Amino acid sequence: MNVSDHDSRSEDLAAYVLGALDGDEVAAFERHLEGCERCQEEMRWLEPAVATLPETIERLEAPPQLRETLMAEVLEDVREAEGRPARRRSWRQWVLKPAMGLAVVALLVAGVVGYEVGKDDSGGEGGAPSTIERQVGSLTVKMVSEGDGGTLHLSGVDQLPPDKVLEAWVEREGKVEAVPALFVPDREGQAETRITDMNGVATVMVTEEPRGGSDQPTGEPIMTMSVPQ
Amino acid sequence: MAVRREKAERLADEELMPLVGRKDPEAFAVLYDRHGGAAYSLAYRIVGDRAAAEEVTQEAFISVWRSGARFDAARGSVRSWLLSVVRNRAIDFLRSRAGKAPKLSFDDDAVLEQRPAEERTDEEALRRETAAELRGAIGKLPGEQSKVIELAYFGGFSHSEISRMLNLPMGTVKGRMRLGLEKIRGELAEGLA
Repeated sequence: MNVSDHDSRSEDLAAYVLGALDGDEVAAFERHLEGCERCQEEMRWLEPAVATLPETIERLEAPPQLRETLMAEVLEDVREAEGRPARRRSWRQWVLKPAMGLAVVALLVAGVVGYEVGKDDSGGEGGAPSTIERQVGSLTVKMVSEGDGGTLHLSGVDQLPPDKVLEAWVEREGKVEAVPALFVPDREGQAETRITDMNGVATVMVTEEPRGGSDQPTGEPIMTMSVPQ
Repeated sequence: MAVRREKAERLADEELMPLVGRKDPEAFAVLYDRHGGAAYSLAYRIVGDRAAAEEVTQEAFISVWRSGARFDAARGSVRSWLLSVVRNRAIDFLRSRAGKAPKLSFDDDAVLEQRPAEERTDEEALRRETAAELRGAIGKLPGEQSKVIELAYFGGFSHSEISRMLNLPMGTVKGRMRLGLEKIRGELAEGLA
């Protein structure tokens, strides 16, 4: 490694340790670094300066549910590694989103209880309509299934701000999907949306979302309901 | 077999890492308890959104849990390594959200109003004291130097992007980065940390 080569590359060193070189420059600099002891030495000198940068910001307290979510994931990994069946809760990612919290857990429980005490009219055979009706908090929830799809009716829904809509979500095979048809309550507090494919759906949830809907739930659900398989 | 919590708490970070590599949840929990607050704070500083910061922090720690063996003690402390993992995740998150502007000021008004993390240990208290001094040191940098460092580290911008943003030659940007880091390093060498 000659001096001029070092001089031509050394100006990249600070950008490199800050992660600010462009992609192709990184590879070129690392090739140089491998054979340049001066750059290696200078990098060892500068790296602690970069390491101090995150220490200079004000500290926030991490939300408690972050630890809970993390450790739940870790313990499931341990269970799986030990050959025990995983108990991953597919709704955990929703339930422990920061915007949600314990109130959602309560609603999940309420949803399940609602199913136990609710009316379940299985209807006829061969794809005839069937209805599940439950009381979830102050809401009356009715799910009418017909064929592959179903219609979700809500009664007793509070009026929404003009910039909000209702969005339904389904959990299917451990994955959460948004229902495309956004909806709003009428003046009587009745709201309805169509779920075109109910196959394999284990749970239905509704949240308030900004107009235009969201890719994932951003607020507490106004109702959660389990669906018998 | 997992170590007991009490034993794990007595171990240094560098001693915890091999245990994390062997999938010891207690060791991992202690690691999180020591550095989770800093990790979340860094993620929040970069992405500027609590939900996103939580997501980034969780992803970073899960990646550490699942690949703990990647830690190289020769390259620095566990804490620095962890925070670099968080920083990389947060920058990736920003880049995946086109048009999302990072927070770009050393004036942490937005985070100062948040409740500070509890000072659990003397080490944490010392770290805070050191952090305050470091903030002072960075505050003493000429604005042109702190700006390029901040854009690079907290904003995730490359030197060429910064060059375009500030309408400066790339050599000038890299030079300011170098000068700024050298000054911070000089403060450290004088016994600040």
